[in-house]
Amino acid sequence: MLPIAVDAMGGDHAPGEIVAGARRAAEELGVPVVLVGRSAELGDTGALPVIEASEVIAMDAEPGSSVRRMKDSSLVRAAEAVRDGQASAMVSAGNTGATMASALLRMGRIKGINRPAIATPIPVPGSTPTTLLDAGANAECKPDWLVEFARMGAVYARDRFGIQRPRVGLLSIGEEAGKGSPFVKECFAALSDPAWAAASDSEWIGNVEGRDVMTDEVDVIVTDGFTGNVTLKTLEGAMRALIGRLLVAIDTDDDTRAAGAALAPALDTMVAELHPDSVGGALLLGVKGVCVISHGSSSADAMVNAIRVAAEMVEVNMVDHLTAAAID
Amino acid sequence: MPAETHVEQNPIGRDEIVALVKDRLAEILEIEPTGIKEGDAFAEDLDADSLALIELVEGIEEELAERSVGFRIEDEDLEDLRTVRDAVDYVVAKLG
Repeated sequence: MLPIAVDAMGGDHAPGEIVAGARRAAEELGVPVVLVGRSAELGDTGALPVIEASEVIAMDAEPGSSVRRMKDSSLVRAAEAVRDGQASAMVSAGNTGATMASALLRMGRIKGINRPAIATPIPVPGSTPTTLLDAGANAECKPDWLVEFARMGAVYARDRFGIQRPRVGLLSIGEEAGKGSPFVKECFAALSDPAWAAASDSEWIGNVEGRDVMTDEVDVIVTDGFTGNVTLKTLEGAMRALIGRLLVAIDTDDDTRAAGAALAPALDTMVAELHPDSVGGALLLGVKGVCVISHGSSSADAMVNAIRVAAEMVEVNMVDHLTAAAID
Repeated sequence: MPAETHVEQNPIGRDEIVALVKDRLAEILEIEPTGIKEGDAFAEDLDADSLALIELVEGIEEELAERSVGFRIEDEDLEDLRTVRDAVDYVVAKLG
């Protein structure tokens, strides 16, 4: 496998945590990695090769113009490495919009896909994650785009989680067919055409609600990027609040602390299951290459998982499957 | 410039630029180039958003880079390109 190109400069804890995660991924997982960034700032990179990139796109920079102006940025160089056959995938914890723009403008869009979408796995306790897309690439969408998201989401759910016949639902404010905004109703009509589900070997289950996201009732949920991102951030905040409150409750008195100690192994497992670092990042689906978008606050652990997911998606030929699904 | 490194290029006519812009736009928007008119507004008529416009600009620059060294569409000029004709006229003017 060609190496995974890791944007060493992107993220709140770059380059230290990014380089540490990349080294661990190479050593522990045996995944080949190439770092992209300013070599003089990366510290001890071990045996990892480095693609030099003199510029860094800031986390709050405007994505499109940044990619155009900063042609020697670590993000752009990472995407070019995939385009030019130097790398098999790219991973970044940097500016999400710029990561998307770099991938779109350098790798190119898969034919038949109007807009790439960010697919985020949402943990489901005791079951395979639910794939939510679009989780923020396209604030406003057209109904036909959601049909494309459904096709791509089905491929991803199959390739990533082994779900042979993914159940695909449309996020709405009620299960009934007539529920939702005019846009959602148009999406429902478009998704109700059986052709796409038959072609992608998936099952269209109609509308699903917010409370279904973390259940085993659905495998892929499609929505516009605005709603998807709000959903994602709401869940993150709710889980953080719940776990925080639980820890406070456990710390109430000696009895609760003793009970907490007994519960610790089970709670650790639960927290690990729900922690964003364990998810392995989101995938940008619809570009001609594997592109993993890791959380901006990614730790070394998160980077190890993101690189692992990138390598897995390369090995299962996810992009080939997306390409076939897009033109089917 | 030594003959082996310099190739004379024919000047690029307006019609060729119209075809280039339409072809690239059609590829980006996945529509037929014959369905694009010069008077079409990117946003209102073609549903082309800012990202599509950047894709178009990058495509034009890539295409013209070899024929006109250093050809570049300035970012600050992008917001003035509202129609296909605007883009064509801009490129024609830039190529002199």
